[in-house]
Amino acid sequence: MTLSTRRSDAFLNLKRRQIFEPYICVNIALTVVLLFVFFYSALFSPEKDNYPVVCIHERLTGEPCASCGLSHAFSLILQGRISEAYRWNNNAMRVFIFFAAQLIMRIVFSVFYLRHPETVRQLIVYDIVVSSTIFLIAFMPFIKWILRFL
Amino acid sequence: MEDFTNNSGQPGGQYPGQTQRTSGQTLGIAALVTAIVTFVIAVIPCVGLIAVIPGIIAVVLASVGLTQAARDDSSRAIPLAGLILGVVATLISISQIMVVGQLSDRFNKQWGGDIENVIKDVRKDVLDKLEEANVDISVENGDESVTIQIKEGREDRRRQLEELEESNTVSNDTLDAKE
Repeated sequence: MTLSTRRSDAFLNLKRRQIFEPYICVNIALTVVLLFVFFYSALFSPEKDNYPVVCIHERLTGEPCASCGLSHAFSLILQGRISEAYRWNNNAMRVFIFFAAQLIMRIVFSVFYLRHPETVRQLIVYDIVVSSTIFLIAFMPFIKWILRFL
Repeated sequence: MEDFTNNSGQPGGQYPGQTQRTSGQTLGIAALVTAIVTFVIAVIPCVGLIAVIPGIIAVVLASVGLTQAARDDSSRAIPLAGLILGVVATLISISQIMVVGQLSDRFNKQWGGDIENVIKDVRKDVLDKLEEANVDISVENGDESVTIQIKEGREDRRRQLEELEESNTVSNDTLDAKE
């Protein structure tokens, strides 16, 4: 067996082992969830208004909540109709950007981790800080809306 | 040659002869993912109430994972993270119930009184209009028929009916017979 073959075998073995590392598993699971969100938005159309998820708040209280129209807005953003999306929900764009950013981050961070496994601690800390920050920015209107009633 | 190992010379920070225990890790990962998803769902007001269910699932998974990790003395970081995040997400989701309560209370206070007043006004209007309405009462008995046209107010109609009852009808009321 040549040196290069042995080296590539070792590399593949290491990668195979790292695939089952907790950080990668979490990233894969979250990627699947995020892809499901985008698939849901693409599958149902705002024209047909056939979204299976309804607003529980509106059903219970008769009053629309801060996140009403989010599904419609997501579908419209995916179709490139941004101004219409704003009409459905003012905060839809920032939430959409959060989900899109998370999808990119999961992929980029996983690749980075596979290439530089020694940086796992720094990577996780960086991931938590960045994700928490953009989460707070994206969901702040909803959090404020909830806090208004508490 | 590219080095795929960490500073300890072994992948994943292991030293030679040291075996990494993974008890509770799988459950911990499942709990963490469930907790993260629950957390995001919980802060969306439309579906926040539903997040109680995955939140409880996350807490249960994390608790079992944590117990397994503690028993086999393996890393508790992931199940613990899942547990903390799951509890916070569940609490946020439960707070949504309070939000719904407050909202419906406010709705009842703001709109409930107005709706009640509107119903009262409409009822009063209808009764007032009925008071002054032209009512035709038609009584048919075989070939004979009597039509009473009432154009006055309630008192006049009552008096007219009473006069008509006294002069033309025989009382068959069982209550009267008992008396």
